[in-house]
Amino acid sequence: MFYFVCALYAEAKPLISALSLRKDAFSCPYDTYFSEDSSVVLAISGTGPIAGAAATSYLLTRFGFRNHADFLINFGSCAGNEPGLHLINKITDDTTGRTFYPDMLYDLSSCGLPSSSEKALVTVPRVVSSLEDPSCLYDMEASGIYQAASHVLSPHRVLFLKYVSDSGVDAEKTITAEKLTEDSGKHIPTVLSVLEKLAEACEEKPFIDEELLVSTSLALHLSDTLRHELRQLFMYAQASGTNIKEILDALDAEGKLDVSSKREGKVVLDEIRKQLI
Amino acid sequence: MRSENSSFNFPFSHIYVEDAIRDHELTRRILARFSKSVVIPINHYKDVFNRSRQNFGIQKSSQALILAKNTGASIFPGAPVCQDFGYDHFYYASSIRNCIFDCEYCFLKGMYGSGNIVVFVNLENTFSELEALLKKHPVYLCVSYDTDLIALESLTGFATRWAEFARSHKDLTIEIRTKSFRKDIYEKIEPCDRVIFAYTLSPDEIIEKHEKKTATLKERLEAASCAMNKGFPVRLCFDPIIYCKNWKAAYFSMLKTANENIDIHRLKDVSVGSFRIPADYIKKLRKDFPDSPVCQFPYENRNGVFCYPEKLADEMEEYLISLLERLMDKEKIFRIENSENS
Repeated sequence: MFYFVCALYAEAKPLISALSLRKDAFSCPYDTYFSEDSSVVLAISGTGPIAGAAATSYLLTRFGFRNHADFLINFGSCAGNEPGLHLINKITDDTTGRTFYPDMLYDLSSCGLPSSSEKALVTVPRVVSSLEDPSCLYDMEASGIYQAASHVLSPHRVLFLKYVSDSGVDAEKTITAEKLTEDSGKHIPTVLSVLEKLAEACEEKPFIDEELLVSTSLALHLSDTLRHELRQLFMYAQASGTNIKEILDALDAEGKLDVSSKREGKVVLDEIRKQLI
Repeated sequence: MRSENSSFNFPFSHIYVEDAIRDHELTRRILARFSKSVVIPINHYKDVFNRSRQNFGIQKSSQALILAKNTGASIFPGAPVCQDFGYDHFYYASSIRNCIFDCEYCFLKGMYGSGNIVVFVNLENTFSELEALLKKHPVYLCVSYDTDLIALESLTGFATRWAEFARSHKDLTIEIRTKSFRKDIYEKIEPCDRVIFAYTLSPDEIIEKHEKKTATLKERLEAASCAMNKGFPVRLCFDPIIYCKNWKAAYFSMLKTANENIDIHRLKDVSVGSFRIPADYIKKLRKDFPDSPVCQFPYENRNGVFCYPEKLADEMEEYLISLLERLMDKEKIFRIENSENS
């Protein structure tokens, strides 16, 4: 699942349209959009790092972010000297001076984001009137989003995609909502390509038969400590490719699972261990 | 663990460089070598290395390099779970953290939150620290515990520098432990009886399954033989012994291969020890690597150290020792359990 945080509706509009997202009809603290198959959810945070952080927390907790399969993406405009869409590799919070580093593990060059598109970004709590460091990009949300996200997700599960809308000077008031939407629209094919690429990056988690674990623990009258030991045997069986159910079925056939005390249960536990090793 | 179709950036595609060592000679040399990498300036290596919730396993797919200045201590007393080979003043040095190899059971995965590699480029400061220690007493120092220095030699040149430093300090004995196949270092440095090259050996099936990216058994033996022929003291480490269903046959075959490829009589010594790991580390390993049979093995907790069940550990260690005793002097065989010659 992809979680998007965009500061403004004007920035998100082309994405909402391209992904056919629908607005959540329920009363939400943030305007929230989601795809029919629930593979994408998007929230409009409003501007500023605190708004970004709050919307991120809302989104991740409400929809139950899965750290092994989901991605959080902050997509939006920024000020900078180099036009185009950029992947952010360093975020500096201008207020605190703290720096944050999303992991840069995935090769997104085939999506139109070569390593040369990577930039450092500074998050400022106000609209900038000039670029203090011309090599950096400037936005108003990223540091807040990263900090809120870091309580839940791994640094390789968050991406910051920022397109340059201006160079920090807007004397002629040309940065309108229409302009932000128009600029955003130009980068949607790249964003869609990134989604396609990242959709493959799922770290499958092996699982054990919890039902069998519970029923065996109960049958053997295991204490919490011994139940933990049995879980570890289940984990080892899973990792080493041994079918623990077959072992348990065989013990059951011999009537060994029918015990009447913890002590007898421990003897059976040792027997399971012996058969596994 | 992860989709085969995901494509990762190339190793060291991103190099984080601390501002304090941006102009250090080694920093410049490394950056010149990786001209296609993205260089990201950082204030302190911990801002990257110590981030919360990093995924060690995934980061290994595209390791980043962090170049930093070590401002604290870099020489530490050897841990009780490590073999001291009878030396009184046993220490280890940490000039690089993490390794390019990917051993499933590696304690570094339990010790560090990050799979990225930190190189402390100011090795000269470690040398100064060590010289102060050498004024107090002789030192036996393992310099390749937190990494594999030989595998990273072309990047850092640290193994050569350590060997040269040891040659010029008569009270210092160093051990450089490796699973690499590289032999070129033996052409570059002068032999010294206080520079011990230690090769960790495992059966090929263990290497293939659990020691990814490392050299094969034969390659390690060839490299060890090369070191010995050049006049360096060589140690073989049958440590950690990793359990597998057919461990007896696997370790017998390994020792047979070793005997065929290296003159065992000329070895300085060997160490034997079954896998063991501090409790805190195995907890993290088990959480991060749920599909690893080595991590998920139902170990016994003995005083905070997770080990194979005593009977199994004894059986594996004693079997290997019994085979070794047929090939070499007993005095040269060190078993981890009590640090005494078996």
